[in-house]
Amino acid sequence: MAELTYNEKRLMVVLNAIKKATPEVIAGELNTTAAAVVQFAHLCADKGIASLDRTVTVSYSLTTEGEQYATLGLPERQVYTSFRNETSMKDLQAHPLSRIAIGWMKKKGWVAIEKGQVKKTGDAPEGADEVALRDPAASREGILELVKRGLAEETETTTYTIAITETGKALVEAGLDLREETGTLTREQILSGDWKDLNLRRYSVDKLPKRIVPGKIHPYQRLINEMRSVLLEMGFIEMYGDVVQSSFWNFDALFQPQDHPAREMQDTFYLDSTTPLPENWEAVRDIHEHGGTTSSVGWGGTWMPAKAQTNVLRTHTTGLSIQYLKDHPADPVKAFCIGRVYRREAIDPTHTPEFEQLEGIVMDKDVSFRHLMGFLKEFYGRMGFEDVRFRPAYFPYTEPSVEPEVYVDGLGWVELGGAGIFREEVTDPWGVKYPVLAWGLGVSRVAMLKMGLRDLRQLYRSDVDWIRDTPMMQGGRD
Amino acid sequence: MPIIKLPYEYLETLTGTDRETIINRVPMIGADIERIEEDHIDVEFFPDRPDLFSTEGVARAMQGFLGLKTGINDYPVTPSGISFRVDPSLAEIRPFLGSAVIRNVSLTEEAIESLMGLQEALHWAVGRGRGKVAIGVHDMDTVTPPFYYQAAPRDRAFVPLDFEEEMTLEEILGRHPKGMDYAHLVRDCERFPLITDAEDNVLSFPPIINGELTKVTTATKNILLDCTGTDMKAVMTAVNNICTALADAGATIESVEVDGTPIPSLAPSVRTVSADECRRLLGIPLTAEEMAAHLRTMRFGAEAESEDEVKVTVPCYRADIMHDWDIFEDVAISYGFENFDAALPESFTTGKPHPVMVMMDGVREILAGLGFLEMMPFTLTNERVLYTAMQREPNPGVLRLQHPISEEQTILRTDILPMLVETLQINHHRELPQRLFAIGDCVETEETFQKVAAVSIHTEADFSEIYACADALMREMHIPYEIEESDDPAFIPGRRADIIVDGKKAGVFGELNPDVIRAFELDAPVCAMEIDLRCVQARFSL
Repeated sequence: MAELTYNEKRLMVVLNAIKKATPEVIAGELNTTAAAVVQFAHLCADKGIASLDRTVTVSYSLTTEGEQYATLGLPERQVYTSFRNETSMKDLQAHPLSRIAIGWMKKKGWVAIEKGQVKKTGDAPEGADEVALRDPAASREGILELVKRGLAEETETTTYTIAITETGKALVEAGLDLREETGTLTREQILSGDWKDLNLRRYSVDKLPKRIVPGKIHPYQRLINEMRSVLLEMGFIEMYGDVVQSSFWNFDALFQPQDHPAREMQDTFYLDSTTPLPENWEAVRDIHEHGGTTSSVGWGGTWMPAKAQTNVLRTHTTGLSIQYLKDHPADPVKAFCIGRVYRREAIDPTHTPEFEQLEGIVMDKDVSFRHLMGFLKEFYGRMGFEDVRFRPAYFPYTEPSVEPEVYVDGLGWVELGGAGIFREEVTDPWGVKYPVLAWGLGVSRVAMLKMGLRDLRQLYRSDVDWIRDTPMMQGGRD
Repeated sequence: MPIIKLPYEYLETLTGTDRETIINRVPMIGADIERIEEDHIDVEFFPDRPDLFSTEGVARAMQGFLGLKTGINDYPVTPSGISFRVDPSLAEIRPFLGSAVIRNVSLTEEAIESLMGLQEALHWAVGRGRGKVAIGVHDMDTVTPPFYYQAAPRDRAFVPLDFEEEMTLEEILGRHPKGMDYAHLVRDCERFPLITDAEDNVLSFPPIINGELTKVTTATKNILLDCTGTDMKAVMTAVNNICTALADAGATIESVEVDGTPIPSLAPSVRTVSADECRRLLGIPLTAEEMAAHLRTMRFGAEAESEDEVKVTVPCYRADIMHDWDIFEDVAISYGFENFDAALPESFTTGKPHPVMVMMDGVREILAGLGFLEMMPFTLTNERVLYTAMQREPNPGVLRLQHPISEEQTILRTDILPMLVETLQINHHRELPQRLFAIGDCVETEETFQKVAAVSIHTEADFSEIYACADALMREMHIPYEIEESDDPAFIPGRRADIIVDGKKAGVFGELNPDVIRAFELDAPVCAMEIDLRCVQARFSL
């Protein structure tokens, strides 16, 4: 049997003495309320050491309106006695109670109404309702009628009888520890060692605590931080840059021809402002027009500086990479960035006009396409994607290009990002001497794969309960 | 990206191998199989490879890749004796013309479908939606040379393709389905481009529609090709790709004199590349001989001229070959990506997080420690959320999108707090209390900087609660600050304060004005703060 609380023990001691009693009597003995006694008795009854009998009694009493009629008679009785054998409806309607009374007189068959004349039919004997009006206990039928008319009301009274069982008796007779229970320990009790002699209240381990939630970093930010850690561990320096970029850095410096469809207004967010071209912009112009000093033939045509000055919300973070290379021309360079990028797309479960992109670059004397594959395998492996394979791909600013695919249980081979070696047309204007390996991927796509997310909007318009319920230590690296 | 329909039987006939082999190997030349159907496959190719936009072109590439036929195809061109004159007044409208005569075609339904598919894909990838290049193919035996490419008056009439009655050029733009689709390309010109024959019959109204007269059918034996456009290089890419595809299907190609110049030549170009540069770029040990063999597999002409030099003959249809590295990529594809020995370089480098990220990580740690949950709202928003609902005046430095995609997202955020209050609105049905924070980029007159905001909503949220949080955040960020009464209308007067750092306002906190609470359809007290993290950057000189 579960341990008894101090109060349950006290109840049992009293019960053992008086065997059977109402809560009110026991409450007097225990110096508490009857309600508390009922609660203790319930707990004891659950343990089979006491019994609790519940009796519900119903009593009736008149309402204020009912009390009035008890003295003066029901409205129909008052009106009935106000005329002799017959009267006109019109006269009768002059009586203040006529509105209630006429209906009842007719219903009870006391009068007949014909052609505007009201005629008594007999002597109108006293009904059960009138008996109950004098004494609510005298007629059950009558009092229910009065309850319906709102002239009387029902009151339920619950009474309990508490008794001790045989098991209970045996328990009390075996002896109970009646020392008072202690809840929270005091400083004195801890210092003096008194706590050892106290009757410490026991807590039920079956009862769940009230749920609390710690402050948390967003699950998506945790994933981003995990990717940052992977790249920092691999020896990469983190880049950070402005959201607003000139078309020059976002497109032209990446050898995107000025008439490329990705530069059109339906794909890119343009702003109503411009940024002056940086020093050495002429080298980019030459590359576009005829390949500059490289083995490239360029795109041909005339490159327009005005078009390059227009500001856009960055459509990728690759513009930051090339600016980083310009500022850090000495090898080796290993740099990365995870940042928000913008594409002019309507919001739906798999598209948002802004999302995070990861991008990494490596510039070094002897790096080659083979090393790009090595970096991709290492990075995806550390992210928990063990199987990686490569397929030919096309990206405007890399050559050769490659599309890595990772194997995901239940989905098969999944495309995850793109990679390649920056075209010489991209690096040459900035005096970059060695090949630049580059790769990028959509971070939200990894979130969908790793967090089982179905709707990207959950990342940016999060349900608080999703954050509360997502364990902090989940979806991490194995 | 263009999706090309490849009918099995036609592809098998052209390639000389079975469909299974092709389906297995086609992704390795750089393509995605979209659908495998009973009689054909749909394959997506990259936009830089227009030579793969036809069944004939894919067959040519697969023959090489499978070792059935390697090296460069020869495309002989003989003069047709036919001439084409270009009206100089087209200079401002649509100046360039490419042409060819293609004889002895045997056009099955499949060959016509392949030709139409090639034309459409070229229009998209090379022609930029017909603006840069538009292509017309004509049954040459219905018209009489010489031909004339002219700027015609808008009321000139002819019977356009798939119609029975004559329409003026003007009417075509208004009523013909293709006319309506492409009207924007010519509408602003006074006169419109038109191609006519010696008897003034209309062949085409480029870039809109051909005439019904020269419609190509299975009975067509000889084709006249016209490609018009605004860029001669792109025009010739289209001409070369159509001619070589039809030549591979058995036709013979003849040149046309365009203002005295014979077009096309279909001659390959020559590049001498370095085997050493290729080895270093790809990281694979190949001799010049081996490299040349790989290039022949990719249907280039290639001979090792010395230990280091490989002379590469580039077919005229390979418009993507702009630089030597483009050739090296084809070596890599032939070598097989799966055969590369992936490796990490040996250079030693150390990693380092960006100071802005370190700062934001620190602030996240502080606010999570204070019991707040992080949110990551969008940076695109609208004036109602950012200013009107907050009862604030618009920031003069706010950036507006020129062509927003929805009314919800028209500007870039200058503050984060309004987004966070909007997040409370999204979560109004969730249990209280809710304590949320957000940190990230804001933009003001092109400058990107960071802000952090925090909100607390529950029945007892008040000034003291948020003051304590703001104080804790400032202390933990190690920023000395002062407090002044605020006049920010987003908060209740007498229950709001500004955070002052180095004599400048760096943040604000207090109890949100109930009108603001109602504007976001909330119904409990909200206390909130927002801090401009430039005050942290300034002190740590990030």
